[in-house]
Amino acid sequence: MKILIVEDEPKTGDYLRQGLAEAGFVVDLVRDGLDGLHHALGGEYDLLVLDVMLPALDGWGILQTVRRQGLEMPVLFLTARDQVEDRVRGLELGADDYLVKPFAFAELLARVRTLLRRGKSKEPEVLRAADLELDLLRRRVLRAGVRVDLTAKEFALLELLLRRQGEVLPRSLIASQVWDMNFDSDTNVIEVAVRRLRAKVDEPFEPKLIRTVRGMGYVLEAPEAMG
Amino acid sequence: MRIKALPRWPTASLTARLALLFAAMTASLLIVVGLVMGRAVDAHFRELDDHELSGKLNLIGNLLQRADSPQAWAALPQRLDDAFVGHDTVGVLVRDAEGSVIYAVHVDHFDAAHAAGDALPATGAMWQKGSRHFIGRETLLHRPAVADAPGEPLRVLLSLDISHHVHFLEQVRVRLWLGIALSAVVSALLGWLAAHKGLAPLRQVTDTARQLSAGQLGVRLVEGDAPAEVRELVEAFNGMLARLEGDFRRLSEFSADIAHELRTPISNLMTQTSVALSQTRTADDYREVLASNLEEYQRIARMVSDMLFLAQAENGRLPRPEEAVMLADELRALVEFYEALAEAQQVTMTVQGAATVTGDRLMLRRAVSNLLSNALRHTAPGGRIDIRLDCRAGRVCLSVSNPGEPIPPDQLARIFERFHRAGAERSRHGEGAGLGLAITRSIVETHGGRITVQSADGLTTFCIDLPQRLTGA
Repeated sequence: MKILIVEDEPKTGDYLRQGLAEAGFVVDLVRDGLDGLHHALGGEYDLLVLDVMLPALDGWGILQTVRRQGLEMPVLFLTARDQVEDRVRGLELGADDYLVKPFAFAELLARVRTLLRRGKSKEPEVLRAADLELDLLRRRVLRAGVRVDLTAKEFALLELLLRRQGEVLPRSLIASQVWDMNFDSDTNVIEVAVRRLRAKVDEPFEPKLIRTVRGMGYVLEAPEAMG
Repeated sequence: MRIKALPRWPTASLTARLALLFAAMTASLLIVVGLVMGRAVDAHFRELDDHELSGKLNLIGNLLQRADSPQAWAALPQRLDDAFVGHDTVGVLVRDAEGSVIYAVHVDHFDAAHAAGDALPATGAMWQKGSRHFIGRETLLHRPAVADAPGEPLRVLLSLDISHHVHFLEQVRVRLWLGIALSAVVSALLGWLAAHKGLAPLRQVTDTARQLSAGQLGVRLVEGDAPAEVRELVEAFNGMLARLEGDFRRLSEFSADIAHELRTPISNLMTQTSVALSQTRTADDYREVLASNLEEYQRIARMVSDMLFLAQAENGRLPRPEEAVMLADELRALVEFYEALAEAQQVTMTVQGAATVTGDRLMLRRAVSNLLSNALRHTAPGGRIDIRLDCRAGRVCLSVSNPGEPIPPDQLARIFERFHRAGAERSRHGEGAGLGLAITRSIVETHGGRITVQSADGLTTFCIDLPQRLTGA
C-alpha cells in the first residue's frame, strides 16, 4: 500500500512518515502543495494524507485538482483548526476523513487502515483468531470450542477487535465504532468494557489474545502473528 | 447602537437647549400678556380722551346756546376764555359758515391744513405735532337767532393734547419689553441651572466611563440625589460595571487556571524525561517513560480540544442544531455506553419518560454524557442514578439525580464554571480537567436551554431544560 503525505511542518511530517512506514506502508513525504499535487497526480497512491495549510497550494486545492482528474483514492485531511466550515468544505470537495491536530498516532493509523479497507474484499462470515471464533450470522462466539455468552455491545467490541486484528485500536475509535460516541469520555468506561470482555473470552483460556498497549489502546493478536 | 440626532440642534447641549426653551417660553408668555394688557390700557385711555373731548364740546354747545342776545354774543369769546382758562391741553377753533374765525384758542395745536379750514372728521382724528400728540374732532353747532341776525351753523374744531397718555403708554411699553427680556434671561439662567444640576450625574457617568480600564472595574457611581430618570441610567451603568467586573474576573481566573492546569502535566513531562535521560536505561524503562509521557500528552490534548470547543460555543460559532432528537433513544444509548462502568461500580441506572427536542444529536449526547460520568463519579456503590424526561408546557426537563454528599451552596453556584472541581483534594486519576460541566452548559445554551442543579437530602439533581420540539414541526 502506497501513501503520500503532504505536510509542511517538519517534525510532524517526519514522524508520520516513520510511523506509517513502520506500520508496513510505502510512504512518500513532500513539504509543499505544488510538489504534493505533482506526486498525487503521477504517483499511483492508494491514499493521500493532506495538511490543510500548505505553502504554494493548500490541501483543498490539491484535493480539487486530484478529483477533477478523476482520481478516486481516499483522502484524509489533517488540520489544526476544529472548525465546522472546514469539515463541511472538506466533505463537499470529496475528502474521506478528517483529523484535528493534535491527534494520537494510533488514531491516525486506525483511520488510515479503515480508509484503505473500504470497499475491499467481502467480509467473511466467521472471524477467527487462534481458537477464538466469532460467527456473524449466528451471533455466536466460541473459545476453544466452548460457547461464550456476550452482551450485544461485548459482541460488537469483539467483532471490531477481530476485524482489525493486529491493529492497536485507540479508545476513542472503540467508543465511536461500538457505541457511536464520537467524543472523549473523561471516564475509564472503555477500559472497564474491555476488562469485562477479557474476563469472558480471555481469562479462562490460553493464550491471551487481547492486549493493552499503554497510552495507545487495545489490540487483539494471535500469538503466532506476534512471533 | 446608533441614536439618530435631532435634526434641528445637532450639537447643542441638553442644558443649552433647556435654557433656550425656558427663555422662549417665558418670553412668549409675557409677550402675549403684554400685548393684551397694552391693548386694554390703550383702549381705556382712548375712551377717557373721547369722553373729555365730548365734555368740552357740550360745554361749547351750552355757551353757544346761551349767546342768544347781541350782548351775550359779544361776550361769548370772554366766556369761552373763562371756560378754557387753565386748560392748556384743549384747542378750540370756531368758524362761521364763511370761514371767518369767531373764536380761537391754542390754534397751534391743529395741523396747518385744519387751521386753514380743512375739515376734521366727525368721528375724530389723531395727529402729532413735534413731540406732542393730539386727538380732535369737528362738529357743527348752531348759533341761536337773535334780533339782528338769523341763526347760523358754526364749525367747531376741538383738539385735545394727549401727549402725557401717549408718553405714558410708550414708557409702559418700553418697561414691558425690558421686563420680558429680563425675565427671559432669568428663566434661561434658571433653566440652565436646573438642567446643569439635574444632569450632573450624567457628567459623572461620562467621567467614570472615561477613567475606566480593566484594572478599575470596581468603581461605582453614587445614586444619591440623582433625578429619577438619571437614576435608572446610573443603576444600569453600575449593573453593567458589576457584570463586566464579574466576567473580567472570571476571565482572569480562567487564564490563571489554564496556566496552572497546563503547568502540572508539562512539569511532569519535563521531570520524567530529564530523569530518564540522566543515565542509560533498558529499553523497557524507556518504553515506560514514553508511555507515561503519552498519557500526559493525551491529557493536554483533551484539555486543548475541550477549551477550543468552549471558545467556539462562547463565540457562537457552533452550528445551529436542527434535527429532531428523540432523547429517550439517546439516553438508552448513553446508559448502554456507561453500563459496564456502572456495573463495575455497583451502581444502577434507570431511564424514564420520552421527549423530542430540536438539536444536534452528537452534541446533546456529549452534554448528557458529561452529566452521567459526573453522576457515576459521585455515586457510592449500591446507589442508583435516575434519569428522567418530563414534558411540561412546551419545555422538556431532562434530569439526572444521584445520591451523594450534598454539594455546599457556594460550590453549587460555581459548578458549571471551567476548571471547577467539587472538592479540591479529589484525585486527578480518571478525571478530566473540570471542563465537562462547562461544556454541558455551553451545549445546552446553544440549544436555547438552561441547566440547573440542586443538592439536598443526599440527592444531587441536574436538570437540563430545553424547548420541546412540536410534533410535525
